[in-house]
Amino acid sequence: MKQPGSIEEHVVIRVTSKMLIPYIMIFGFYVIAHGEIGPGGGFQGGVILAAAYILYCLVFGVEAGSRALPRRAVEATMALGVLFYAGIGVLGMFRGAAFLDYRVLLSDPASAEPLGMTLVETGIGFTVAAVMITVFNMITEPTAVSGPENAPETGESKGSATS
Amino acid sequence: MMTTQILVIAAFVILFSTGLVLIRAFAGPTVFDRILAVNLIGTKTVIFLTLLGTIGGRSGYLDIALLYALLNYIGTIAILKLVQYRRLN
Repeated sequence: MKQPGSIEEHVVIRVTSKMLIPYIMIFGFYVIAHGEIGPGGGFQGGVILAAAYILYCLVFGVEAGSRALPRRAVEATMALGVLFYAGIGVLGMFRGAAFLDYRVLLSDPASAEPLGMTLVETGIGFTVAAVMITVFNMITEPTAVSGPENAPETGESKGSATS
Repeated sequence: MMTTQILVIAAFVILFSTGLVLIRAFAGPTVFDRILAVNLIGTKTVIFLTLLGTIGGRSGYLDIALLYALLNYIGTIAILKLVQYRRLN
């Protein structure tokens, strides 16, 4: 894992990244939670959360990143975030209002609207973070996610194995 | 009032020096000059956003400045790793 000359050897990058990653994640959650009263929202917060994971992968390696956050969990989060988003919308329909009408979620409409907006932003944030992480994984390992029938012809490893 | 004028002057100085750094980013003989210039532009952007937020009295700019500082760090590490190892994983 720790070959000489690899980026895991650089102690400054390792220590500063270890110090920064929790704060980046806290900032991401802050941006998600303050989406309706400040700059930001679900999309931006999700991108910041994904940036924390990307920094972890850059410094400690993609294998360590996959161990910290398995691919299956990322793919499940991608779908569950959308499900959460749509679930909040459908919950408004069940309570007798339109899709994504937050005012009926609580008895007090003034406090139900920020609650519904924050919940929807949370769903968006997790989905966007998972999608960004998947994009980064596909960039770093292009052959790991492509199926066997439409795999790109990358050449020598496959060709030498068959011939 | 005086403070606002000083801050506006400082913002223009930052903009001017960002132009100078941009020249270095285009002209830089080695790739590390360019990386350093881009990193410096990011740092200047953080200061510029903070000045804008202070002049306009809007605290929302501080969030963006903080985010820019964080992403600048990540981007610099990614570019340096790509330059040195020719891959990201």
